[in-house]
Amino acid sequence: MGLGVGLRSVHFPYILEHNPPVDWFEIISENYMDSQGRPRYVLEQIAERYPIVMHGVSLSIGSADPLDFEYLRKLKALARDVKPLWVSDHVCWTGVAGRNTHDLLPIPFNERTLKHVVDRIRMVQDTLERPIVMENPSSYVTFADSTMSEWQFMARVAEEADCGLLLDVNNVYVTSFNHDIDPVEFIRALPHDRIVQFHLAGHSNYRTHLIDTHDDHVIDPVWQLYRLAHELTGGVSTLLEWDARIPPFPVLHAEVLKARDFKKSCAEPVASVPAAEIDAPRVDPRRDDAAWVPHPLHHVVAEVR
Amino acid sequence: MPELDVIQRWFQSVVTHPAGVDEGVESADAQELIVLRPGELEKVILRSKNLSARDRISIYANAYYARLTECLGETFPVFRRTVGHELFHDFAVEYLRACPSGSYTLSLLGDRFADHLQQTRPPRPGDGADWADFLIDLVRLEWTIEQVFDGPGLEKQMPMNAADWRAIAPGAWPHARLVTAPCLRLMSFRYPVNGYYTRALASKPQQDLPIPEPADRWLAVTRRDYVVHRYDLSLPQYILLGSLQRGRTVGDAIASTADVTPMGDDELAAALDSWFSQWTGREFIMAAEL
Repeated sequence: MGLGVGLRSVHFPYILEHNPPVDWFEIISENYMDSQGRPRYVLEQIAERYPIVMHGVSLSIGSADPLDFEYLRKLKALARDVKPLWVSDHVCWTGVAGRNTHDLLPIPFNERTLKHVVDRIRMVQDTLERPIVMENPSSYVTFADSTMSEWQFMARVAEEADCGLLLDVNNVYVTSFNHDIDPVEFIRALPHDRIVQFHLAGHSNYRTHLIDTHDDHVIDPVWQLYRLAHELTGGVSTLLEWDARIPPFPVLHAEVLKARDFKKSCAEPVASVPAAEIDAPRVDPRRDDAAWVPHPLHHVVAEVR
Repeated sequence: MPELDVIQRWFQSVVTHPAGVDEGVESADAQELIVLRPGELEKVILRSKNLSARDRISIYANAYYARLTECLGETFPVFRRTVGHELFHDFAVEYLRACPSGSYTLSLLGDRFADHLQQTRPPRPGDGADWADFLIDLVRLEWTIEQVFDGPGLEKQMPMNAADWRAIAPGAWPHARLVTAPCLRLMSFRYPVNGYYTRALASKPQQDLPIPEPADRWLAVTRRDYVVHRYDLSLPQYILLGSLQRGRTVGDAIASTADVTPMGDDELAAALDSWFSQWTGREFIMAAEL
């Protein structure tokens, strides 16, 4: 489907006025499921002009809590209205015991959690009456209970639940750095025929670890991984996420268009990707909240006179 | 190997502890789920080449309050500006601790903030309204604006216009019940927070905004063309619109307004025509049920 960008409310006026030549938009499903105001009105207009993909952040497929069928009912209703090409979410949990932390929390990778996630994806697919697409989140911890790698877990989730994969290339890079693993091995080991979409984003480097902040340009090592992923999959729809310090729309659009260059250069085989990044000053995260929140969630701000 | 439910409740308990990971791991809630003595965190979370288990799980703990405080700050920007970012952070953490989110959507994150502030406010020094009332009024206004912005509206409906009004026989008026716009909210305040809010929107973030003196104020908040509008009301207007919104007939609503306002009957009667005309232009009224 080409190159798309995440739809953010700060860009509503630009998109409606200029009809930029973007191949498609991805929406955060939860921002529109209950909307009866301007966000939903703008989405309806944009959906008339562009293909839409729905991307969720609260499915909480890995939670020990029961699935929220009221949430799924609303998700299904939104999909009925918006007619997205597909619906995606993350292999994670967001809360338990009735709470939502609004974060994409990690799960231990073992046989027991695999069965749990697979069973729930099947239930979700049955309820939504469509296959769903699951993304690898960035993560910062490894559980002692894990008995398999993330790529083994993701591959088996996709095969056993018969769902698609959304490969977030930046998340692979961030996770690999944080867990001392090889991002190339990660990407090579996935079932490439299951991958229906790529995500790209910027992150923050704290030298000892990386945080998936979605607040900057995509760095070169991630572009190199993207080139590898493109080569292995034959090329799938690609989307750029930018959720904090969001630049003007043309800057965002120009960033995702860089993917064309890396797609063209696929003739050169990719053997390895340097793990070391440019030297960045270590920042005490507590000093600048806005700059370091992992995968910030986009919140729509009211327009008032 | 702990059950998934146990490890998740432990993890959530640790990363949402307001005092940080160390206190979270040692808390009774966490210890009830997974007993860990000091230095045993790596029984659950492995270290990486660069970071200890504690540092790694702290990334989630630091993010929890930062992320949700940021979201609350976008919902209550004028309140945040008024109290300052540091104090706002303290208010937000205390609120999130007392009222954690249970919803799939961030748009409901602030739904109990005003009630929480009311329940935790310090006692008033005297009979009159004080600074805490001002802050609570401000939060109520900002939350209402948020709700009206993305709640039900009348953009796809046709509100009553002047011709609709003229078509109603004069004798039918007292018995009519008016249907108000689904986005119309009527509010009463102990401080003039609407004017304060307007000044905040119109001024630079670093500009000083003096807190106004207490004064009773009434306000209509509504939405047209997907933009929120605010209109100051007089007390009689607030009472009359409230009565109509609650479904009383026009005759009963006017009578109840006359009973509780200092306006004389003639003065009220003379004002009604211009009030209804104004409310029609502002699309407060959807229909008249005869």
